[in-house]
Amino acid sequence: MSEIAIRAENIVKRYGQKRALDDFTIHLPQERVVGVLGSNGAGKSTFFRMIAGLIQPDHGTIDVLGRTPGWQTNRDIAYLPDRARWYEGHTVMLALDWAEHLLPGFERQRAESLISFMGLDPEMKVHGMSRGQEARLMLTICMARSVPLLLLDEPFSGIDLLSRERIIEAIIDNLSDNRQTVLISTHEIHESESLFDHVVFMDNGQVLLHGDVEMLRAEQGSMESIYRTLYR
Amino acid sequence: MNEVHIGGMRFELDLSKPLYEQVLTQIRSSIAKGEIALGEKIPSVRELAQALKITPNTVMRAYQELERDRLTETRRGQGTFITTNADTVETIRNNLAEEAVQEFFEKMHSIGFTWDDIQQLIRQKGGNPS
Repeated sequence: MSEIAIRAENIVKRYGQKRALDDFTIHLPQERVVGVLGSNGAGKSTFFRMIAGLIQPDHGTIDVLGRTPGWQTNRDIAYLPDRARWYEGHTVMLALDWAEHLLPGFERQRAESLISFMGLDPEMKVHGMSRGQEARLMLTICMARSVPLLLLDEPFSGIDLLSRERIIEAIIDNLSDNRQTVLISTHEIHESESLFDHVVFMDNGQVLLHGDVEMLRAEQGSMESIYRTLYR
Repeated sequence: MNEVHIGGMRFELDLSKPLYEQVLTQIRSSIAKGEIALGEKIPSVRELAQALKITPNTVMRAYQELERDRLTETRRGQGTFITTNADTVETIRNNLAEEAVQEFFEKMHSIGFTWDDIQQLIRQKGGNPS
């Protein structure tokens, strides 16, 4: 059995009256690709933000790679947020310069080869980019970091088919080179389920079901059909 | 999933069953059928994962199993190759045939066919499948 990368115990996180995470408990294995599945509002982004140390639980405990999330753990985590923020006037190249100065473990050479793999023009202004181009640039910046944990919040949503395929290829390539724990949240299960080693189905801030994907396939079928049964 | 051709092998994966077993069985049958020759190089873990759009961990697990069965061998810095030992392949081929026959008999018995019925049916078919 593999080591545990993320251990969340009885987490509660409230926003006003709503419990975004509600007695949420999960242990996720290290060096696996984990799909975090569920509809909008299930609590996926809250969970990711908590792993990244951006928000704290109201109750319960979380540890990530054996430590409490915070600024110290962030050098080990590459986090792809669900929305992009760029600097005024930046080009793709300037965004890489910024990342190189600011992000621990950022490998410039890897970033540049990813840029060309992703079909991005280094001189392109970041503000004129389509959502697909933006998603590819954000993912490049995340994946160019040599870190043990990669958090990708909704990397496939609202982007064109070709960008999505490119992103999936880059993720597979990245996994072949690195022993990394990768968490991917998505509701586009059909396109992405073959990427996962482990899945977590979330709803209303709780875990409905989780486990090894190959075992779930043997017992219950595809992740897509399990999803349909669980959320009917 | 659609049929994928890579390195002389054909794959067709069904997401409702364990992928690791499917990758393993499909490579084994490609070897048994001679679609990949003895000593031939097979795709790297990365290449096969890319072609099938699956996690490299799944491909790696299948490759480890093939290596355990001595159907493949990994040469440092060169990649993974089908064994050059014809006997190993013959053994695997016979095992696959035995499994297929065993399954066939179990199926026939479960619907009440005796050995005589089965023999008669095979003769009628004249050895032609389907």
